[in-house]
Amino acid sequence: MKTLLTLLILFPSLALAQSTISGTVTSDKGEPIPGANVFLDGTYDGTSTDINGQFNFSTEEEGNHKLIVAFIGYTKETIAVTLPQNLSYNFSLKEEINRLDAVVISAGSFSAGEESNREVLKPLDIVTTAGATADIAGALNTLPGTQTVGETGRLFVRGGEGYETRTFIDGMEVLNSYAPSAPNTPGRARFSPFMFSGTSFSTGGYSAEYGQALSSALILNTKEIAEVDRTDISLMTVGADISHSQSFEKSSISGKIQYTNLTPYFELVKQKINFEKAPESFDGNMAYRHKVGDDGLLKVYGNFNKTDFVIYRPQIFDEELEDKVDLSNSYGHLNTTYKDILSDQWSLKTGFSITNSEESIVINNQPYDEKTRGAHTKAVLSYDTQSQFSLSFGGEHFYRNSQFDVNQEGAPEFSYNQHIGSAFAEADIYLSNDFVLRTGLRAEHESLSKKYIVTPRLSLAHKLGEKGQVSLAYGKFNQQAQPDYLRVNNNLQSEKAEHYILNYQYLTGKRTFRIEGYYKKYSDLVKFQDAYDQASFSNLGSGFAKGFDVFWRDAQTFTGLDYWVSYSYIDTERDYQDFPTTATPAFSSKHNFSFVTKYFVQSLKTQIGTTYSFGSSRPYNDPNQEGFNTERTPAYHDLSVNFSYLYRSNVIIHASITNVLGVDNIFGYEYSDQQNDQGQFVGRAIKQQAPRFIFLGAFITLSKNKVANQMPNL
Amino acid sequence: MHKLILIPLFALAVLQWSFTEVSKYEKAMKSSIEKVYMAKNIEEYQNAINSFERIAQKETDKWEPLYYSAFGYVMISTRVEELGEKDKYLDLAKEKISEASALAPGEDEIVALEGFVHMMRVAADPATRGQQYSGLAMQALNKAVAMDGENPRALYLLGQMEFGTAQFFGSDTAMACEKLQKAVSLFQTQQPESVIAPMWGARQAEAAAQRCGAPAGE
Repeated sequence: MKTLLTLLILFPSLALAQSTISGTVTSDKGEPIPGANVFLDGTYDGTSTDINGQFNFSTEEEGNHKLIVAFIGYTKETIAVTLPQNLSYNFSLKEEINRLDAVVISAGSFSAGEESNREVLKPLDIVTTAGATADIAGALNTLPGTQTVGETGRLFVRGGEGYETRTFIDGMEVLNSYAPSAPNTPGRARFSPFMFSGTSFSTGGYSAEYGQALSSALILNTKEIAEVDRTDISLMTVGADISHSQSFEKSSISGKIQYTNLTPYFELVKQKINFEKAPESFDGNMAYRHKVGDDGLLKVYGNFNKTDFVIYRPQIFDEELEDKVDLSNSYGHLNTTYKDILSDQWSLKTGFSITNSEESIVINNQPYDEKTRGAHTKAVLSYDTQSQFSLSFGGEHFYRNSQFDVNQEGAPEFSYNQHIGSAFAEADIYLSNDFVLRTGLRAEHESLSKKYIVTPRLSLAHKLGEKGQVSLAYGKFNQQAQPDYLRVNNNLQSEKAEHYILNYQYLTGKRTFRIEGYYKKYSDLVKFQDAYDQASFSNLGSGFAKGFDVFWRDAQTFTGLDYWVSYSYIDTERDYQDFPTTATPAFSSKHNFSFVTKYFVQSLKTQIGTTYSFGSSRPYNDPNQEGFNTERTPAYHDLSVNFSYLYRSNVIIHASITNVLGVDNIFGYEYSDQQNDQGQFVGRAIKQQAPRFIFLGAFITLSKNKVANQMPNL
Repeated sequence: MHKLILIPLFALAVLQWSFTEVSKYEKAMKSSIEKVYMAKNIEEYQNAINSFERIAQKETDKWEPLYYSAFGYVMISTRVEELGEKDKYLDLAKEKISEASALAPGEDEIVALEGFVHMMRVAADPATRGQQYSGLAMQALNKAVAMDGENPRALYLLGQMEFGTAQFFGSDTAMACEKLQKAVSLFQTQQPESVIAPMWGARQAEAAAQRCGAPAGE
């Protein structure tokens, strides 16, 4: 007897006690879940639910066990069971808040990323948009909400000036993000679109994390650790560059040097501007990535640039007289960020960036020096359980210094030193996968005006079925007065804006439709009578902008063709700077339209891109006329094309031509300060530097792995 | 006397225990592997994956169940239409591969499967993803071939990638075809190391090699 007992203990397989476990699995909405995994923890025993959500399995296990029910997208359920006995259970699984499937706030925001399919733009779009010549701002200017202001190349968003769009790289502020350019010619964004894996272009209502931006935030996220070793060489009509990425086990380093010189091009293609020395620039970029522990990532990015040119500018009053303008600019930006996951719920993001820009302009042997320095420090803590609620809060500090030297005896010094401290907090509340509410608050203190500013942010989004969603956003925004003015009067406060946005978006397959209406109210805008008279400055300016934007993108209807259409309507007026009255500013046109196409011709291995841009007439002020900003320029038209030919898997030949039709666009007029013999102020049209810009380049990638730039369907 | 009997009994018990455990693992794996190879639709793939997940949560030191779960998810990704859905399953596959390679970092089959996942990302949206993911796919597949030059799956996938690239650019497909043909002959001759070793790919490799036409010299 004793032996038998011993045998039974030692050979449990001899004693077979079977239990049957059965039941159903449904969602919390009561629908059956097929394919759910039902099993006893730590054993092989279990099964999958059938089409009706039913399950049934048997087990020979005994004692206390855990019965687990799991299915993708639902919270796992566990119950304790004691075996052997036949059991029947009905499980109701709760849907997990899945941030990938869940509703996203789309009001005011266009994002471009590699991963998610819901991104409106892909990083490659920036490079392949005709007319943009691989300039980030150029590509974003084909999106609604922007204004075509061809003489600056900057992003003018919804009645806001170019300076009201701020650029952030990995959350850190970048000052002077455009390379210098000759007066009334477009400047390019300093940063290569190839550096970034994600771009978010917000035309209003953005998160409390982003401050010091009145109209728009351009949020650029740099690439993570490089996983492939490669060398790239570009040979262009305007210069050359070489870059290399090397990846190591836990880190990667990338560097790029670029030299551009427009002399040969300007020799060939006549320019309306008389250059003694065409723009020449040296540019260096460095990116270092290091993985710390399991989840930590350190990113260091540095950019330096030196640009100079010399032009002769005819005076307006007498075109025979020319001013010699000699400009040289040195620029450096260093950006370091560190992010880490502290625990299941907590994560940390910190960063530090510095910008230093020194520009010297010599006008007819009279030197002027402008220096801009800035430092930005930031830390953000996030609490996220990947469920209904997430919270992030943090603090940041901006230091800015700007100096303008006239270099004349007894001339006043124009400079300022500003410290801005700020704290912000924001919570996302998911009421379901279909409804999210985001509420945030931001507080700032400016050392110069000694003012505290508290700005609220609020947005919500509601998914209407699988494809449509409606979002609302509201927020107050502020931005330090422009350096040019703050230097003269150190007491100026922040300019302020209030945004109201209503957005509807419909996504289906590779088609996107968006329509967004907005109202924007400006207050505390800087006003002055004389830009160099401190006493004439005030914050008494104000304004408004209202309108709507429509966007349609379709990469589905026509095989091989991807196109998008943007239309923006805007009605805006403001009383700011030296305006004598409230008027529509010169940069604003009522109607803006873009039509962008990209078509891949398989037989030619060539992508052909076209962009047509239209901007209706813009106001300008003719001092010979009664009233202010009452005159209108002709409308703006531009048709640009580009070709990317895949010569080899690692060689791309690229050609682009802007303004193919050679339209002689007029951006506005400038007038002389003095009157001529007839008592008239002399006017001169502001036009494009040349009717067309032609670009040719070869881009070569060298890599151990023969990387295809475009792959056919497998 | 009692004690003397107990010793061999105990030894026998241990033997039986370890024997049943091993065979139970292999048995469960074998039947699940059959399920995943035979699966005809998403439901059947999900059921097979569920079996592997049950095995994986018990056998926390084995890479194979994770490997096959990942394989199942890749297969599901080819059967869903929408890009976001494809990505969801490829993300799940990638998750399983990461877990598997943490257990067996030197396993070339896992690296080859990772290359396959990257390939499927390219296939999902070639125009926008080609540049990023084809590089990653080539890198992983080359690594797998470097780890084991006789891995027919790695050779087939690498050959497939090279073939597509060469054909697209109108360049010579000889190198790609050499790999595909080597993969086909390895599929025919190679004996699996164990009953649970990966065996998929022979049919696909043959189909791919057929596109090469008659081998050079014939």
